Amino acid sequence: MRRGKILISIIVGLGLLISAVGCGGNTSTGATGAKDTLVFAQGADPRGLDPALVDDGESAKVIANVFETLVKYKEDSTEIEPCLATSWEKSADGKEWTFKLRQGVKFHDGTDFDANAVKFTVDRQLPPQVTADMPYASFTFGPVKEVQVVDKYTVKFILKEPYAPFLANLAMSLAAPIVSPAAVKKYGDDFTNNPVGTGPYKFVKWDKGQQVVLEANPNYWGPQPKMKKVVFKIVKENSVRASDLITGAADIIDGVDPNDVAKLEKSKMLVAKDAGMNINYMGFICDRPPFNNVKLRQAVSYAINKEELVKYLYKDLAQVAPSMLPDFIPGYDPSLKGIPYDPEKAKQLLKEAGYPNGLKVKMITYSNPRPYNPVGGEKLAAAVQAQLAKVGIQAEIQSYPWKEYKDALFKVADGAQIFFYGWTGDNGDPDNFLSLLETKEIESSLNSAKYSNPQVDKLLVEGRTTLDMNRRIEIYKELQKIVENDAPWVFISHGKTLAAYRPGVKNFKYHPTGVVHLWNVEK
Amino acid sequence: MGRYILKRLLLLIPVLLGVLVVVFIVLRCFTTDPAAMMLGQHASTQQVEALRVKLGLNKPLYVQFGTYLWQILHGDFGRSLMTKTPVLHEIGIRFPATIELALFAITLATIFGIVMGVVAAVKRNTIWDYFTMVGALLGVSMPIYWLGLLLIILFAVMLGWLPASGRIDIGLEPAHVTGLYLLDSIITKNWASFISALKHIILPGIALASYSTAIIARMTRSTMLEVLPQDYIRTARAKGLKESTVIYKHTLRNSLIPVVTVIGLQMGALLGGAVLTETVFSWPGLGSRVVEAILAADYPMVQGSVIVIAVIFVIVNLIVDIIYSFLDPRIHYS
Repeated sequence: MRRGKILISIIVGLGLLISAVGCGGNTSTGATGAKDTLVFAQGADPRGLDPALVDDGESAKVIANVFETLVKYKEDSTEIEPCLATSWEKSADGKEWTFKLRQGVKFHDGTDFDANAVKFTVDRQLPPQVTADMPYASFTFGPVKEVQVVDKYTVKFILKEPYAPFLANLAMSLAAPIVSPAAVKKYGDDFTNNPVGTGPYKFVKWDKGQQVVLEANPNYWGPQPKMKKVVFKIVKENSVRASDLITGAADIIDGVDPNDVAKLEKSKMLVAKDAGMNINYMGFICDRPPFNNVKLRQAVSYAINKEELVKYLYKDLAQVAPSMLPDFIPGYDPSLKGIPYDPEKAKQLLKEAGYPNGLKVKMITYSNPRPYNPVGGEKLAAAVQAQLAKVGIQAEIQSYPWKEYKDALFKVADGAQIFFYGWTGDNGDPDNFLSLLETKEIESSLNSAKYSNPQVDKLLVEGRTTLDMNRRIEIYKELQKIVENDAPWVFISHGKTLAAYRPGVKNFKYHPTGVVHLWNVEK
Repeated sequence: MGRYILKRLLLLIPVLLGVLVVVFIVLRCFTTDPAAMMLGQHASTQQVEALRVKLGLNKPLYVQFGTYLWQILHGDFGRSLMTKTPVLHEIGIRFPATIELALFAITLATIFGIVMGVVAAVKRNTIWDYFTMVGALLGVSMPIYWLGLLLIILFAVMLGWLPASGRIDIGLEPAHVTGLYLLDSIITKNWASFISALKHIILPGIALASYSTAIIARMTRSTMLEVLPQDYIRTARAKGLKESTVIYKHTLRNSLIPVVTVIGLQMGALLGGAVLTETVFSWPGLGSRVVEAILAADYPMVQGSVIVIAVIFVIVNLIVDIIYSFLDPRIHYS
C-alpha cells in the first residue's frame, strides 16, 4: 500500500504545484501591467504589415501606428488635414495636385522621408509594377497617371481626370501610407513582416498569432508618443478578450461581444460605442417591374419600422440610418430624416401605385453576419417580412451563402425584387458611398439596385470634379434629397464599433474609419 | 527492426499522397475562391480573373495538383496567400507552440489517466471507482470549448490565479532554442520565463488533457480488470508478493499495451485537434492557424499544414508500435 500513498502524494503535490504557481501574485497584471506598455487586444493576427498588400482591419490598426500618410483624417470625422504633407494645391483643371512635404522627417531605419519616397510608394502600386495581389492599389491610385518629383520636398500627382475624392484616398490606412524605399528594397517580399514607416511607433517584432510589439519612435517629428511600448495582443475569443481586459492582461480590447457589455460595465470597464463607416440597407431592383415604380418603392419604405429593427436586432450594435451617409462624413445632412414609418401612408401609396390588395414580392439575402449587419441577412429579412405583412405585402425570402450572393444579386437570380446588402466605406469621402447609385456602376455590380437617374449621375460627376469641399457638400445635399424621394434603397442602420478599455486609459478613441491612433493614448 | 522502420517510413508516401489528394479536392470544392477573398469588395471580375491566372487557379485540377506535387518534391511549399509568408516558415513558427501544448497535455493525461484507471480497477465498485469513472464520463462528454471557458472564468477572472490567454507574459519570451517556451527557459535558465510559461500552459493543458485523461483512465481500468482475475496474478499473490508489486509489476505492465495504443492515438489527436483549445486560449499554435487558413481559402497554408500534421501522426504511430516490443518482448517486428 506504500506505493498507493506515494501516488496520492504525487497527485496532491501536482495539485499544490499548480496552485502555488497560480498564487504567485496576480499573474495577469504581471509583466503586461507594466506602466509604460499599452496592450491592445484584437481578435485576429494582421494579414501583413505592408500597406500595399492588405485590406483587413487588424492589419490597418497596426499600420496606422507605424506608418503615416500625406494627409490624415481629423480626429472625429473624415475631413482632411495635413500630415506628412504640410500643404497642397490643385491646378485649375483639377488634374495636378502639388504637395509640399514636411522636412526633417526620418523613417524608422534612419533614411530621409522625401518626394522620392512618395513616388516610390505610389509607383509600386501603379502599372507596370503593381501586382494582382494588391487589393487597394486600383481603388486608391487608379485615378493617378503619374507622380513627379519636383524637388526634394515637393511632389506632384498628375491625375487622369479631375477627381476630388483623391485627397481622401491619400489619408487611408491601406495602400496610401508612405513606406521606406530602402526597407522595401532590403526586405523584398518580407517587407510585410518588417514594416518601416515614419509613424509615432516603430515596429519591433511580430510573434505570429501572439503579438505585434511596437516601441516609441524617439525621432518622431510630432509630439512624442505617450507610451514606451505598444503591444497588439491576439486574443481570438470575444469573451476571453473581455476576461483579459477585466483581469488587466489587456488595456484596450475591440470586437466586444454585445452580450459581454453588461459584464464589462459591471466590472467598471469603459465601453466605447462609436459609429462605423458603413451602411446596412435594403434595396429594390429598380430597372424592372414592379419596383421601377417610384410610388411602390415609397410604399414599401413607409412600411418599414427601422427603429424597431435596430432596437430588436442590433441593440447596442447599430444606430438608425436616416440617410446614406454616416454623420461624420462630409455631406451628411441632419435635415434629412429619411422616409418615416407610417403604415397608413404605405397602404395609401400601395393603392395609388395600383396594388390596392397588396402584392407578393421576392426577397434575396445573405446567410452570414456582416460588419454592418452582425445578426446576418436572414434575421433581418425575416423581421422585414413580418413588417411588410402588416400592410398586405407577402414576401418570400431566398437566402444565399455570402460567396454566391454577390453573383446572385448581380444576375438578379430567382426573379428577385428586393435584396439586402451593405457597404463598408473606404476613404471617408461622400463619393465613396453615393457613387453606389451611379448608372455606370450597374455594370461593375456596385450599383446593385440598378438604379439610374440622369440627374443623380450629373451631380455625382459634378461633385467629383468640383474641388471646393463646401461646394461639394452642397451638391451632395441636393443629391441626397433626390435619392430620398426616389427611394432606391431603404437605409436601415449604421453598424457601430464596440471597444472597451480599462478605467486608467486616457484619450482612447476609435476613429470612424475603423483604426485607432495610439500616439496620444496613455494609462 | 531497422527494416521494419524503413518499411513503415516508405508507407508514408502513399499515405501522404492520399491525404494530399483529399485535402486538395475538398479545399477546392468547399471553400470560396481565394482570389475573390484576397481582393475584397471593389474587385472587378477582370481583376479576380487576373489574380486567378497569377495563382494558377484557372488551370485544370490535375495540372494544379501536378504542379503542387512537383513544387513540394523540391521543398517548395509556396507562400501563404493571406500573409504572403513562406508556408514552411509559418509552420516552423507555429508548430512548436502546438507541440508544447500537446506534450504537456499528454503528460497530464497519461499520469492522471493511468492513476485514475488503476485506482478505479483496484477499488472496483467502491466510492473511489464511482468517483473516478464519473470524472472520466465528464471528461469525455464535456466540450473542450466549454470547459476552457469555465476554467478561464474560475481561475482567471474569479480567482485571478492564472492568465486567460496567450503563451507567456509580454516581454518574457525566452531566447529561441527549440521554440518550446518551457524547454527554452530551462535551457537558458530563465526562471521568470519558465514560471510565466508554466502559468500560461496550465489552463489550456488541462482543457486539452481532459478528454484524453478520461479515455486513458477508462482503458486502463478495463484492461486492468481483464488481467486481475488471471491465474498468474493469483499465483503472484499466493507466492506472498506485496500487493503493490502484484498491481504495478504484474497487472499494470501487462495491461499497458492497449493503453499505450490509446496514448499514441491521443497524442496524434492532440496535435491535430488542439484547434478548439488553441482558439479559446489564443494559443498561437498551428491548429488555430489552419482554421484561419481554411476560412480564408488559403490553399498553400492548409495543404502544407495538413502534410506536416499527417507526417507527425504517422511517426507517432510508428513510435507507439516500437514501444510495444519493449513492453511485451513477445512482439517482434521483422
